[in-house]
Amino acid sequence: MCYPCRFSLRVVFFGLTLLGSASSVVADEVPSYDEDIAPLLKKSCGRCHGEKQQKADLSLATPGEIRAGGESGAVIIPRKPDESLLYELVRDGEMPPGKKNRLAPEAVDLIRRWIAGGARLGQEAFAQDRAPTQHEIIPRLLLRCTVCHGSRRREADLDLRTPESILKGGKSGPAIVPGKPEESLVLKRIHAGEMPPKRELVSVSVKVIPPEEVEMLTAWIAAGALVGKIEPDVATTEPDPLVSDEDRQFWSFQSPTKAPVPAVEGSARVRNPIDAFVLERLETRGLTLSPEADRLTLVRRVYFDLTGLPPTPEQVDEFLANEDPQAYERLVDRLLESPRYGERWGRYWLDAVGYSDSEGIQHSDRIRVHAYRYRDYVVRAFNDDKPYDRFLLEQVAGDELVDYENAPAITPEMLDNLVATGFLRMTVDGTYFGITNFVPDRLAQIGDEIEVLSGVLMGLTMKCAKCHSHKFDPIPQRDYYRLTATLKGAYDEHDWLEPGKRVLRNVPAAERAAWEAEDGEIVKQRQVQETALEEQRRKAASPFLEERLAKLPESLRDDLRKTFETVPEKRDEVERYLSEKFKAKLAIDVDELKKLDAEFEKLAEGLEKQIRELNSKRPTEPGVRALWDRGEPSPTYVLVRGNYLTPGRLVGPGVPSVLTDGRTPFKVEKPWANSKQTGRRLALARWLISTENPLTARVMVNRVWKHHFGRGIVRTLDNFGRAGTPPTHPEMLDWLATEFMERGWSVKALHRLMMNSSTYRQSSTVRPEHEKLDADNALLSRMELRRLEAEALRDTLLAVAGELDLTPFGPADGVEKRDDGLVTSVRSENGWRRSIYILQRRSQRLTLLENYDLPPMSPNCIERTESVVAPQALHLLNNAMIHDLSVAFARRVQREVGGDRQRQVERVYRLVLQRAPESQEIHEATAFLAVATAKWEQAAAEKSVVTGAGEQVEQSDEKTEDVEKHSDLAPSARALANFCHAMMNSAYFLYID
Amino acid sequence: MTSPERNEASLSSRRVTRRSFFESVSGGIYGAALASLLKSDLAAVESTVAQPESLTAPRRIHDMRPRPPHFEPAAKSVIQLFMNGGPSQMDLFDPKIELEKNHGKAHFEKIASELESPTQAGTIMKSHFKFARHGECGADVSELMPHFAKVVDDVAFIRSMYTTNLTHEPALFKIHTGQMISGLPVMGSWITYGLGSVNQNLPGYVVLEDPLGLPVNHEMAWKSGYLPPVYQGTRFRSTGSPVLNLAPEFEEPEEVTKLERQLIGALDRRHRAQRFGQPQLAARIASYELAARMQMAASDALDVSQETEQTRELYGVGKKPTDSYGRRCLIARRLVERGVRFVQLFIDFQIWDHHSNIENGLRSACARTDQPIAALITDLKRRGLLDETLIVWGGEFGRLPIAQVGGGTRTVGRDHNKNAMATWMAGGGVKGGITYGATDELGFAAVENKVAVQDWHATILHQIGLDHHDLYYERNGLKDRLTGTFEARVVKEILV
Repeated sequence: MCYPCRFSLRVVFFGLTLLGSASSVVADEVPSYDEDIAPLLKKSCGRCHGEKQQKADLSLATPGEIRAGGESGAVIIPRKPDESLLYELVRDGEMPPGKKNRLAPEAVDLIRRWIAGGARLGQEAFAQDRAPTQHEIIPRLLLRCTVCHGSRRREADLDLRTPESILKGGKSGPAIVPGKPEESLVLKRIHAGEMPPKRELVSVSVKVIPPEEVEMLTAWIAAGALVGKIEPDVATTEPDPLVSDEDRQFWSFQSPTKAPVPAVEGSARVRNPIDAFVLERLETRGLTLSPEADRLTLVRRVYFDLTGLPPTPEQVDEFLANEDPQAYERLVDRLLESPRYGERWGRYWLDAVGYSDSEGIQHSDRIRVHAYRYRDYVVRAFNDDKPYDRFLLEQVAGDELVDYENAPAITPEMLDNLVATGFLRMTVDGTYFGITNFVPDRLAQIGDEIEVLSGVLMGLTMKCAKCHSHKFDPIPQRDYYRLTATLKGAYDEHDWLEPGKRVLRNVPAAERAAWEAEDGEIVKQRQVQETALEEQRRKAASPFLEERLAKLPESLRDDLRKTFETVPEKRDEVERYLSEKFKAKLAIDVDELKKLDAEFEKLAEGLEKQIRELNSKRPTEPGVRALWDRGEPSPTYVLVRGNYLTPGRLVGPGVPSVLTDGRTPFKVEKPWANSKQTGRRLALARWLISTENPLTARVMVNRVWKHHFGRGIVRTLDNFGRAGTPPTHPEMLDWLATEFMERGWSVKALHRLMMNSSTYRQSSTVRPEHEKLDADNALLSRMELRRLEAEALRDTLLAVAGELDLTPFGPADGVEKRDDGLVTSVRSENGWRRSIYILQRRSQRLTLLENYDLPPMSPNCIERTESVVAPQALHLLNNAMIHDLSVAFARRVQREVGGDRQRQVERVYRLVLQRAPESQEIHEATAFLAVATAKWEQAAAEKSVVTGAGEQVEQSDEKTEDVEKHSDLAPSARALANFCHAMMNSAYFLYID
Repeated sequence: MTSPERNEASLSSRRVTRRSFFESVSGGIYGAALASLLKSDLAAVESTVAQPESLTAPRRIHDMRPRPPHFEPAAKSVIQLFMNGGPSQMDLFDPKIELEKNHGKAHFEKIASELESPTQAGTIMKSHFKFARHGECGADVSELMPHFAKVVDDVAFIRSMYTTNLTHEPALFKIHTGQMISGLPVMGSWITYGLGSVNQNLPGYVVLEDPLGLPVNHEMAWKSGYLPPVYQGTRFRSTGSPVLNLAPEFEEPEEVTKLERQLIGALDRRHRAQRFGQPQLAARIASYELAARMQMAASDALDVSQETEQTRELYGVGKKPTDSYGRRCLIARRLVERGVRFVQLFIDFQIWDHHSNIENGLRSACARTDQPIAALITDLKRRGLLDETLIVWGGEFGRLPIAQVGGGTRTVGRDHNKNAMATWMAGGGVKGGITYGATDELGFAAVENKVAVQDWHATILHQIGLDHHDLYYERNGLKDRLTGTFEARVVKEILV
């Protein structure tokens, strides 16, 4: 074997080529580094890739740095200009950025010739002999070996995660002999093709080790397995070379400060500073706020906005009759205390985090049986006005707040903390079995979590920094990987917790005891049936056993009979021996016996059915779908160009530098003494909720604003960076953000501020001057006309029909899918529950909700789209359930006001639109009822004639069922149902002014 | 006309744009007939004037109105014949002599981590089927597709396609959406998002599923993901009500239904008249009108009894085993004739997934699809529609050169292979009678002129007039594309 030879090959891989032939190039054709290239690079590239700044982690200032390349790896491949990134970028005019900075063709050619000529760096050749460091070796071992020779499994007592443990070795001795590749066990095993074992690769999600990695390992060992002192790249007290203070000047990277509230002309309309900020902008365009909407409009708007449900006629009357000047504010206060509020506003949060009750990806789309606890946690958090900082702390690091594993008892608060961590467990995850659980699959999953975390909490898009530094924002690729390192105690691509194992059983003792009691009872009943089945089996098997025993030597028969008539658990040692020995000849199990004995078959099947039924009744073991730090995270490397096969620099945990002052280390501490938990996420959470953080409060304030006013102050809810849209009212945003924090991060305080403003109370009427001066309503010259969201629409349809079951919380109500694809929810005893409590299964989303823009979670939904399409109309017009609801609605109206048409019409209007009909509308509606009743009467008469003649009209089963279901309805009630149906289909109903 | 409406009409006419004009017309002010006339005129105007910027400009309302392509397209419609399960390339279009020579030799060690079931890995296995060269071009087609063999001069074969995952679900998401996870828009959604559809009485993207079974991933094979639901595939059933909720699911005298619709119309017009400057209200009224028109148009398109006996025979309608798929191929032709932009055909779960008994399994899958597919090409061609209709055929991955040996009495099959798959395209500006790319000598991996899934997507988009890079949707602060962040190339070599 010739390792030194392999070693030199390896060096070629690093870039050393054909040194010998360099002399064959005529000297004057190749530009000189010192005279031509260095000055050119300094002048044209030095500002961003020099001493002060190293964008994309690249400096071109010194030969060593040019060699080292940047975050995308080497920038120069000697003799191959077309494969050299540096040349490619200057040739294509992508660098230096900006048209006017483009290099002259001569300069571009100079670089080409220099690279083609070998890219000598003064007196030195471009490439230098260099043995790999331990941090080039470890990531490869993590990829190929440590799943079996690591922390969870330690086959042959060997741990290959660190240089020390490699040297220590396992049962067969040290894994390597420094300086002697040929004597190193690990290489021997690899060369023999034994490791990693090929037939098992897929089951542990490992790929074959490629030759270049073997060469690298060989080179490392050959050079003495040196362990250099390499510290992870983390933020220090030194200024950050990759992100400058200038970068931090952008508005959203500066902490918000409270701007003075402006003085405005229309001060009479100013109820709170929001109005002043809005009026200031309006007045500069010669506009002012629209008049206040009438109280009827306001009561409808406020109810839907806070609860997602309409007020009852009585609630409307009460508000209209209330002469208290603070009646409106009292109404807002009261609705904020309604349990319906959390169901409405919790749903917005579930969109943002990507809540789902199923795993996705797999065809079976397995249900996440414990996910509902997170949904309930969110609803309760909003209802309780849990301070937003606490809310985030629990969701990002709930497992690191209290030592739940060693707690004497799990308190409801501890449970809440654990449930909250479900926040980082929502995305689709394809790592459910070997072949889809390779490292890149895991990295994709981690990428989704980072996307949710950064977009929803920080208002930044970090996705692009996975492969290269962000193109618009000062987010170096390094910061992406620092952020992944903060999650590493829980999401470690080299120590993966499969989806099926992400459940903690740490629930309060009482809950567990209740489950054990219920389950134990069922198990007991099942055992009774099982014993009965075994008894029957033994009896029925007896004659067959005798037949078979007859064929065996007589001396054995008694013992064998006794053995096989004894249940396995009660056999003694001799009997166990005998049963094993004669199993094939004598044992007769239930299935075999069923074929032999018809009577037994019938009996057995009855018992088996009961056992199955009992099994299906067993309650789910209580658990929490949680995220927790498992300790001992593997090291984190920047992945060059996002490729897991090209690990680069070692980094430690940290947050985007641009959101810090750039000279404060990211402080990670163990959450409690001797904890296995790293405390990394706790540090991340603490940083997020610090009042210094420039984005956390702004992002949340903006989100709440969006749901009240139809669009954000920053339109791009999850992008506050340079590529996002700038705020329409920056001072107001900052004022609200600081106010939010000063008021203890109370979301309800935010609602009060926004909803009590005159801005919110404006009419939604569009006026000619609006079209001219504020066409897209960026200045808030009016309220937005809004369509009911999917859930509000469904819940309201149910509410007006009197079919809404307001039972909150708990496991989700199931869904059913019809053959033609229609997905509906399953009715509870008291009607249908609110949409937030229906199973959110990725492959089976309620058709009605989906038609009205319920989004898929991929991985989450920051802002729903609004579409206007025929399937919406078709659904409300033709769907059987909507039809049934209109009938239920008609029955309700009849029950409440009797048969008088005008009173019916008035009641329907008040229930659906919360207002009385105008006289023209009464006329229109009663005329409709009269004609429709006549048509129904006529149809009934014709039908009785037809049926009387003995002819059957051909009908589908569904329709026949429908006719029977509503057969008791008189024609006038039928007509009323039609009217209700029309109102449920009307734009008046669907839109909120 | 009532006065508020007049008011609004004059208000918006002050800054009349094609869109606002269109909206006021389709709002029913001038009646449906005029609206429909104008609609086709505007469609004609818009499709000849390319205005790429309007394609990606933010839309407040998403609908199916035609939008200008990025450039003059070769094809107007796409028919995707999707072959769920992973058809075996070396048994259909990519014969390998080396398989015969090395039949029975061990090969597992070399491809160990590229198998789904390593424990069932067998030895190299030759094809069970005979190949011959067909057409003027001399394309290799196995004996299993005698009808298709006659139309190969209209077909461009790609032997060098490959994908990135060898498990059905992720590979299906990849081929349909460009990424390996669920919840993203499929190709048909991207196309209708980009171009809308010519026929406003039918959905722009129609899915013809097999009554025998949905594909793996079910409806997720035609969902619009984060694109609005208007761009989602609409399932057409060949029996019963063709579209979900198309007809009332309850019994009611027709006159009552009509009366109720009139009432809704009156309410909505009044509601709108009281609120000018709200374009979404006009769009809503239009959507109710479309709902009514769609019922007739859909039933008509599905009525294959309007075809001649000879045409039905051509597709194998009325005889086993071709009836079901033949019917869908024929309906596909009727749909593209009517201007439907994207038609996607599925067949019975995953009939191409031959882990075992590949000999009989492949024979049966071909018997069900061969004649109908050949008929579709022939029929479109004789009607002059093949040039403007792009047909694409393929599954989510290919199969391995080694045998898969199951337990029991099952005979051998082939396991999944992500490194090579054979697909083809026909019509719609694709060169006929060519074979592009090549796999290695065993057919294990594409090696020459490799075509990635994103290249395949880019090519299809290109043929219909869309640039894969310029077709994007802004979301989560990024421009999302069908081709994602991958560098994609249009496979120009197979285009006319």
